[in-house]
Amino acid sequence: MRSLHITHSVVHRIFTLAVCALPLCGFQPSAKPTYEKEAAALLTAKCVQCHSPAAKMGDLDLTSRDALMKGGKHGPSLVPGNAAESRLYRHLTAQLTPQMPFGGRLNEQEIAVFKNWIEAGAVWNASASTSSAAPSKPRYTDAQKRYWAFQPVAAPKGNSIDSFILAKLKEKNLRPNGPADKVTLLRRASLDLIGLPPTPEETQAFLADNSPDAFAKVVDRLLASPHYGERWGREWLDVARYADTNGFKADEIRPNIWRYRDYVIQAFNDDKPYDRFIREQIAGDEIYPNNVDAHIATGFLRHYTDETNQPSMENRREELLMNITDTVGSAFLGMTFGCAKCHDHKFDPILHKDYYRLQAFFANVRAKDDFIPLTGAELEAVNKQQAEWETKTKDLRAAMHALVAPIGKADADEYMNRFSEGTREAINTPAERRTSYQALLAFQGLPQVTYQDAALAKKLKPEQKKQFDLMAAQLKEFDALKPHPPLAQTVIDNSTDAPKTFVLAGGSWSAPKEEVQPGFLSILDPTDAKIVPPAGFASTGRRTALANWLADPKNPLTTRVIVNRIWQGHFGAGLVGTSSDFGIMGDRPTNPELLDYLTSSFVQNGWSIKKLHRAIMLSGVYQESSSSQTEAAAADPDNKLLWHYPRHRVEGEVLRDAMLMTSGRLNLKMGGPGVHPELPEGVNTAGYSAWATEKDEAEARRRSIYVFVKRVMTYPMFEAFDAPGSEESCPRRFSTVVPSQALTMMNDNYVLDWSRQFAGRVLNDGGLSPEQQIDRAYRLAYDRSPRPEEQQNVSAFLTKQSAVIADRLARNEKVLLPDRLPTGLEPARAAAFVDFCHALMSSNEFMYIN
Amino acid sequence: MLNKLKHHWNVSSRREFFTRAGSGLAGIALASLLDEEAKASIDPLAPKTPHHAPLAKSVIFLFMEGGPSHVDLFDYKPVLQKMDGQPIPESIGKPKMTAQGSQNNNLRSSRRTWKQRGQSGMWVSDWYENTGAHVDDMTIIRSCWADGINHVGSVCQMNTGSILAGRPSMGAWTTYGLGTSNKNLPSFVVMTDDKDPLGGANNWNSGFLPALYQGTLFRRGSTPILDLKPPATISDEQERNQLGLLRSINELWSKDKSEDSELEARIQSYEMAYQMQSSASEAVDLTKETEATRKMYGMDDPATAVFGGNCLMARRLVERGVRFVELYSGSGSGWDAHQHIEENHTKWCKASDKPIAGLLADLKQRGLLKDTLVVWGGEFGRTPFNQQGDGRDHNPWGFTMFMAGGGAKPGQYIGTTDDIGMRAAERPVHVHDIHATILWMLGLDHLKTTYLHNGRNERPTVLAGEVVKEVFS
Repeated sequence: MRSLHITHSVVHRIFTLAVCALPLCGFQPSAKPTYEKEAAALLTAKCVQCHSPAAKMGDLDLTSRDALMKGGKHGPSLVPGNAAESRLYRHLTAQLTPQMPFGGRLNEQEIAVFKNWIEAGAVWNASASTSSAAPSKPRYTDAQKRYWAFQPVAAPKGNSIDSFILAKLKEKNLRPNGPADKVTLLRRASLDLIGLPPTPEETQAFLADNSPDAFAKVVDRLLASPHYGERWGREWLDVARYADTNGFKADEIRPNIWRYRDYVIQAFNDDKPYDRFIREQIAGDEIYPNNVDAHIATGFLRHYTDETNQPSMENRREELLMNITDTVGSAFLGMTFGCAKCHDHKFDPILHKDYYRLQAFFANVRAKDDFIPLTGAELEAVNKQQAEWETKTKDLRAAMHALVAPIGKADADEYMNRFSEGTREAINTPAERRTSYQALLAFQGLPQVTYQDAALAKKLKPEQKKQFDLMAAQLKEFDALKPHPPLAQTVIDNSTDAPKTFVLAGGSWSAPKEEVQPGFLSILDPTDAKIVPPAGFASTGRRTALANWLADPKNPLTTRVIVNRIWQGHFGAGLVGTSSDFGIMGDRPTNPELLDYLTSSFVQNGWSIKKLHRAIMLSGVYQESSSSQTEAAAADPDNKLLWHYPRHRVEGEVLRDAMLMTSGRLNLKMGGPGVHPELPEGVNTAGYSAWATEKDEAEARRRSIYVFVKRVMTYPMFEAFDAPGSEESCPRRFSTVVPSQALTMMNDNYVLDWSRQFAGRVLNDGGLSPEQQIDRAYRLAYDRSPRPEEQQNVSAFLTKQSAVIADRLARNEKVLLPDRLPTGLEPARAAAFVDFCHALMSSNEFMYIN
Repeated sequence: MLNKLKHHWNVSSRREFFTRAGSGLAGIALASLLDEEAKASIDPLAPKTPHHAPLAKSVIFLFMEGGPSHVDLFDYKPVLQKMDGQPIPESIGKPKMTAQGSQNNNLRSSRRTWKQRGQSGMWVSDWYENTGAHVDDMTIIRSCWADGINHVGSVCQMNTGSILAGRPSMGAWTTYGLGTSNKNLPSFVVMTDDKDPLGGANNWNSGFLPALYQGTLFRRGSTPILDLKPPATISDEQERNQLGLLRSINELWSKDKSEDSELEARIQSYEMAYQMQSSASEAVDLTKETEATRKMYGMDDPATAVFGGNCLMARRLVERGVRFVELYSGSGSGWDAHQHIEENHTKWCKASDKPIAGLLADLKQRGLLKDTLVVWGGEFGRTPFNQQGDGRDHNPWGFTMFMAGGGAKPGQYIGTTDDIGMRAAERPVHVHDIHATILWMLGLDHLKTTYLHNGRNERPTVLAGEVVKEVFS
């Protein structure tokens, strides 16, 4: 942070010098000019976005002289005739912090306008009013128009990934590393593609295969594995901010959202073309109405955090829209749209109104938590059965409801007070007469004032209660008739007419400015999007238009962004390091030609992600060794040009899966609701973070992607290893080294148990000599045999540790032992072997993709 | 470019340093000769120079979760006392919206006995007899206000500045800005006395800062830090042997990878974890304290034992260099007295009064108070009008917090609320201002404490905040 400020002040100094040396031409006073128009124009252009009567940040309104004289929370902004004493001028010149306009300084000529205007008495006639209602037409700078990320994807000359890598290395006189050895390569590919280490048998087979396409066969085998989707689906779930709960206070479970997680896994396994993947997640319900998977896919938009009990439905709706808008902007477009909520983006050409143009595509979205993912006869059968149950129980339910309705109404009437007038009016308006906005408010608000009949019945007088219970018992007799279809959680449009979308001053729903229509990033396409409502069902068709634009092969952002994400997944860092920020504050591509080459091939190959993996993994650069070169390390210390393969730690999820696999305990069952492993001792099991450990212990041994994602509490083992929170889209994980990771590896109950199981697996492998046992453990953990010095090192340890443990056993102390031991094996030796296996799984070789 | 590297702390920037400075341990030795920025690029937790001379070294934030009633504790309102049962005067006006729709209800006077205390004569009700005895060490800010109306958002804002989860907490910003001065303990510790605070880990997480800056929730029971205790199945000698084996396995693998500082750092992290097992265990062992000290904190009384133990733990932690300790009283919204406020607050005031008094006295007698900023408050206060007759609704428009020690001026009031204690009147102090002030007292300028995230230099106070200089000058 310090360095940035140094930079600013340096820039400032240079600036001041430059300006002092030049006459302020064009601003020389003639006959007592007032600078009134110039000042008003600048206030309009630079200030009133935040300091309008509506937004009024810092309580300051800059739209009239009176307002300026009144000032904000710090007092008057103007001292007419004295610029040096005027807060307005002092903020512009950084004599007061923060420097204004926030995030960027006016140029010296502009500052001079204010100085002159104030010194001349700050004259302000009505003719020179500022206006926050009619912002000036956007003008993009040449640099913005020429900015690389907005340019069409080129098809650069070159016929392979390596040709682009080598070209960059050659510029710096560097050479790439030679290939990694086969064991390293296989382990790399396996952890990378399926998130699991290879088995000793797979290693043997690869070592024995001397054909030139041996590695290609490995890549193809791994890409065909169903576990591929479990590894790469996780990457997408980070981007999609997937979670199994709502977040906030109650953090309610979303019981059926997991179908989206399973959809993502399947989509990767099926190599679903990415353009289709986009369409299904943005508008699957509109574009593929008869395809249940597409509806589940649209659950992408359902992952917003949601404070279900907040009193303001207006605010709640805007919060979820912002969550969706921000996510779509960064996940697909790699643009920080969120910065344009309150004003034009300070650095990138994203207009304030562009944020709301993007948001407008989602203006009529609402949760759909009872979607039945069935079609045809199956769906008909469910509907028929439901209708039958409803008909047969109609009178009974009506009678029960009549008993409790007065209590329900009284409770609701009281609780309704918490809502705004607008929400109360929306709820009190009959459904068919509600505007589309009212319909959305009522949809969200009604559950807060709708009570289950059974819950209300508790407040009935004894006589009525008896009556109610009698009927409840009768109703129960129809339970067998009631269908229990599978359910999915997703979103739909609430109707054909969307509520209006306004540019919001300060990002507040209560400060609407001009209305906007759905539209794309203005610098790429300033016109309103063409919306065609779908035929045959009630939806706006807005999201279809957005999905088609995002999935357009000519979209320069969507295409590059996904290719860069895949590259990042393989190398730990993308060609653009900031994989969700392709803007000016983000990183530039280290190899733009390569990015465009990969992107254009990707689109040509039908948006196939598997083909992209294959091309990357069969390149020389992927297969390089990770070792260092002195000169290259000096010339390119960050390895931006990829002269070596960047060694990196696996994610916590992969680490857990690898430990489970090595110990022989991994349960490879796929899909279904999230599972709950036991929580470490000390986690508050009484609070909101509680979860009940799986009754079936085998469920707790499922792959990490199936572990329940609770927003208020990340599973501790994953949290220790930098798993992101799921409030917002996470483009790239941190990879830290902290003692809490070591504590997890040393003392976590599961890690200890897996060490024990790992040792048992080796020790019970009949007929192995002590050397062979060490060899077997190395092969299971590292896919290789120990070198002689390693063999020796471990043998010595086992001898020493066995003696220590034997003493402890003699004192009747508890030690960690495998479930069963082969006859003849000393327990002390077995316990020492557990410690050895534990060390293997805690080691760097186990944790790093080399 | 170089700037960016420092903002995005990552592996490659540390690699960069090591590759240039030599390798492995030699690099670490060399690091001591380099400036702090270079050191920080290797070790993001290394102590950093503050922006200006700090007034406080540590913060103990006493968070009364659920919203303590300022009009029953610190903000004495004679007018309110006379208006019991009357409607909100028109001159003051009803709030537009309340959490539970109580804005049409009549005023409720405080049922407490009030007293002016100490030399300063500041008012404290009989609910805080013990804590009240320390008014002369306090700056009482009566004009606090916040944005949220519901608990989870407001608790989140008091911790992170935003009512929406996802931003770094103040403790995380503090660690990011100052580094840590005790490697064997987490730099930012959170303790609860009941259920989980609303919003859980979002209140102490690191948001977009690297995860290592997040707070560590101390668990109740024998292992406050998860996985701190070695299992009973391993002896110390056995563990030392095993860690020796691990080190040798790692070093054999690292032989041809000596340039990779991260591998070396991970080897070291096991050493540190081993040290933590004993030193952190010692730090959190309250049995090391004398009976008299434990009594001072109310640990001898079941009603005060839990929060008292936490307060005592907080003192042990700041003594050992922990920067930021946050203690929840009534965690899980205990103070949320929508009805039966007398019963509710009697319980929680009792649970917290003696422990807080004990903490202030103990810090003072050990000479720690001058370096330790103690902050007291909730996510908001409570309404002067009743809810359900004998309760009060949420009041984010005006409420009280106090600061003591760490440079806070003794025995002064800042700000007022209106006549009934509903809205901040003179000198309103927003949550962002509180944050800016706390950071300032720790030596950090909230405007300069920034981190580049999604293309924006984010800071702890989002877009606002100003230091309330009257607190300390």
